[in-house]
Amino acid sequence: MKIWSSEHVFGHPWDTVIKAAMRKYPNPMNPCVVGVDVIDRSLDNQGRLHSHRLLSTEWGLPSIVKAILGTSRTLTYIKEHSVVDPVEKKMELCSTNITLTNLVSVDERLVYTPHPENPEKTVLTQEAIISVKGVSLSSYLESLMANTISSNARKGRDALEWVIGKLNTEFEELTSSTRESMKSGMAAASAAEN
Amino acid sequence: MNSVGEACTELKREYDQCFNRWFAEKFLKGENAGDPCVQLFKRYQLCVQLLRRKTYPLKDWNSWVPVKEKLKTPPDLV
Repeated sequence: MKIWSSEHVFGHPWDTVIKAAMRKYPNPMNPCVVGVDVIDRSLDNQGRLHSHRLLSTEWGLPSIVKAILGTSRTLTYIKEHSVVDPVEKKMELCSTNITLTNLVSVDERLVYTPHPENPEKTVLTQEAIISVKGVSLSSYLESLMANTISSNARKGRDALEWVIGKLNTEFEELTSSTRESMKSGMAAASAAEN
Repeated sequence: MNSVGEACTELKREYDQCFNRWFAEKFLKGENAGDPCVQLFKRYQLCVQLLRRKTYPLKDWNSWVPVKEKLKTPPDLV
């Protein structure tokens, strides 16, 4: 069993990061996630939003790993449970694979909170527990997977930055096209008056 | 983002648009009274349910054991 964890600070306020986190896929940094479905979504009696999602993903296992695990399956499914508390400003996300479970289990937990010293920043703490079962070289494979998770985590953070940039562009385009329509509307109105 | 069952992608997109707007403009600002996306969600879910036996690997839809439960120390086996 291998435990991996990391902490990262985003230079954006919590609301911005969470909006991006809910719209993380698709993005160019995680081309492996090929499908996402919301299976259930509800508010609990504390006003927190619970979402259960199913992700289909090409895990990107190196071919040597696939050979050792004895599998040619390339598509894996992950279930994800997230809880967003808008009052406490905390988003917690837990995910686990639900295919290949007889061979490997990867449980991940991500928590997004505002930076304690700077509300314009957001802290992400991330941890993963990796277990490879029933094959030789399991601790070697676990280390390999921890490296994959580490580089995927970096891609995941880059992905959020990308989504945040995209949302900002959408907002600017929307306000700019609104301004243009208002200008032409006003020009037409004043031409009509003359 | 595509639905895992491709046939449901369009219904999912309509629901996602509604949800993302509600999430950003209402929920995160502390106004969560009333979910305007219920009908869209139901239509999208019907599609997902119809496809589930063909596309989704889950044997039991109702057993969503949270991962945190798994991370608890298992009882000692006697």
